[in-house]
Amino acid sequence: MESFKAILIKEFRHIFRDVRTLVLIFAMPIVLVVLFGHTIRNEISNIKIAVLDYSQDTYSKLLIEKMTASTYFKLTKQLNSESEIEQAFQQGIIHMAIVIPRNFEESIVRFKSTDIQLITEASNINVATTLESYGKQIIKDFEKEINKNHSNYIPFDVNVKMQYNPSLESAYMFIPGNIALIMIIVTALMTSITLAREKETGSWNMLAITPVNQLTMVIAKIIPYMLISLICTAIVILLGIFMFNMPMKGSFALLTIVCILFMLTACSIGILISVITKTQQEAMLLCMLGLFLPALLLSGFIFPIENMPWAIQIFSYIVPATWFIVALKDIMIKGAGLITVWLPVAILTATTIILIVVSVKKLMSKNIF
Amino acid sequence: MEYTIVVKNLTKKFGDFTSVNNISFKVKKGEIFGLLGANGAGKTTTIRMLCGLLIPTSGMMEIAGYNVFTHGKEIRKCIGYMSQKFSLYEDLTIIENLELFGTIYNIPKKILQKRILNIIARLNIRDFANSKVLSLPLGQKQKLAFATALIHKPEIVFLDEPTSGVDPLVRRDFWNMIYESASQGITIIVTTHYMDEAEYCNRLCFMSNGKIEVIGNPNKLKEKYKVASMTEVFQKITNR
Repeated sequence: MESFKAILIKEFRHIFRDVRTLVLIFAMPIVLVVLFGHTIRNEISNIKIAVLDYSQDTYSKLLIEKMTASTYFKLTKQLNSESEIEQAFQQGIIHMAIVIPRNFEESIVRFKSTDIQLITEASNINVATTLESYGKQIIKDFEKEINKNHSNYIPFDVNVKMQYNPSLESAYMFIPGNIALIMIIVTALMTSITLAREKETGSWNMLAITPVNQLTMVIAKIIPYMLISLICTAIVILLGIFMFNMPMKGSFALLTIVCILFMLTACSIGILISVITKTQQEAMLLCMLGLFLPALLLSGFIFPIENMPWAIQIFSYIVPATWFIVALKDIMIKGAGLITVWLPVAILTATTIILIVVSVKKLMSKNIF
Repeated sequence: MEYTIVVKNLTKKFGDFTSVNNISFKVKKGEIFGLLGANGAGKTTTIRMLCGLLIPTSGMMEIAGYNVFTHGKEIRKCIGYMSQKFSLYEDLTIIENLELFGTIYNIPKKILQKRILNIIARLNIRDFANSKVLSLPLGQKQKLAFATALIHKPEIVFLDEPTSGVDPLVRRDFWNMIYESASQGITIIVTTHYMDEAEYCNRLCFMSNGKIEVIGNPNKLKEKYKVASMTEVFQKITNR
């Protein structure tokens, strides 16, 4: 116990003597949140659209009016033929085109189904998806409105549900993603670097030949980083709630448990990385490539998983951060309880246990005693 | 005769490469035992196996009367180790380093304080005691690392090229510390490639390509090969 305390104190000394790194660690969550908060905004306004209206009747005009009445879309061009759509996209003057079929009014009056085509510029898949959803929602609203006096009309099969709360929508996305990133950087990256540093400088061997158990040594070494990572997480959550109006509908207790769980996952990955690498650079590179980038790109944080090819989706579901973000969103936005988030929690727990067993075994296998 | 280290048929392979090839030797209590050889001869691998930092491919080792494979815990308490690289914490002060290792070895606080004061007095580093190890000159660092390896009064100390890169004056000082420890009954295993240092050892073990070429007292080796210095002995052995 005494030696555990001694190593713990030593680790805190390392941290507090390296003021630059310490400042960096605590500034990082703030910078990340503010940066992502102002860059990944998926809400849209004044998007230039074009209309190809084959009907030119009252209802089609009403729909167009409704579309442009919102602040989201701005009608910039009336098109006359299909070929002009391509042209308008290529000139870059529009981001979305709406095609209204012939006999629009007639089909509505006769309760026939009709189809409206939305064409979006998909070079930025995120914007395109958002535009599509907004467009669909307006069309659906329009449908309801004109049919509110009829009970037997054929509703459109628009199954996208989208709440009109643009500024919140991006907070939903980036706060949970940021928490995952911070946990990975502070816990996994810092633990693997601190362990790799001991190896690199040779001090690991000095400790390894002492009576102190290696596991005790590793645990004592990583506890400070766990504490720091929890503080950073709290900073992100508070910033999210108070600065970006992120909802917090679920229980704080469950949120804390899930965060601690993911922190343990990140820790065990950090230990594993430090066991298989020899230098700090190697550990850092492996953390970046094996942890940080997948968490950034594959977890659904920036790019929706549903839009990925199935082969990539498989990887997405292997990345622990994916499950952590799912659980976070459910708890914070939907106010889900443990019963709802059991799957991500179970997966994270299983992953953590496997990783800890593997890394501890690897750690222990190097020495005779 | 009491042997503190007994090594029998020790072999270590890294894949296809045999780093240590079937070596056997014994070391007496209080002896200064030198491991000599070119880089890659297997000195460091041997020391690392003796410290329990590497698992041998085959062979038997007995340290301080304990079998390495069954009594690791007991062995840990009675060995000290100083690695090739400087391995104290540079961002901690001298006292903090000594306290850290002392506490890890479960030395009672009062005794530890006394030992730390002794070390500081012996190394003449009172002015540095509360400054970071970083600020010490290399020679002082090496002496401090040696003192740290001795803080729990081990029976055996392994020194892996302790004086590489250190100037001759400090090396003399360092060897005085080694002699002091040996006179207190501590067994010392030291690797080096300085031939003048080889002369200071009680017994030498020449290694090349993972094998022991010859073991013996420096003076007897010089007699045997009819030469005046260890450098010449080394040349005779390698040219054989």
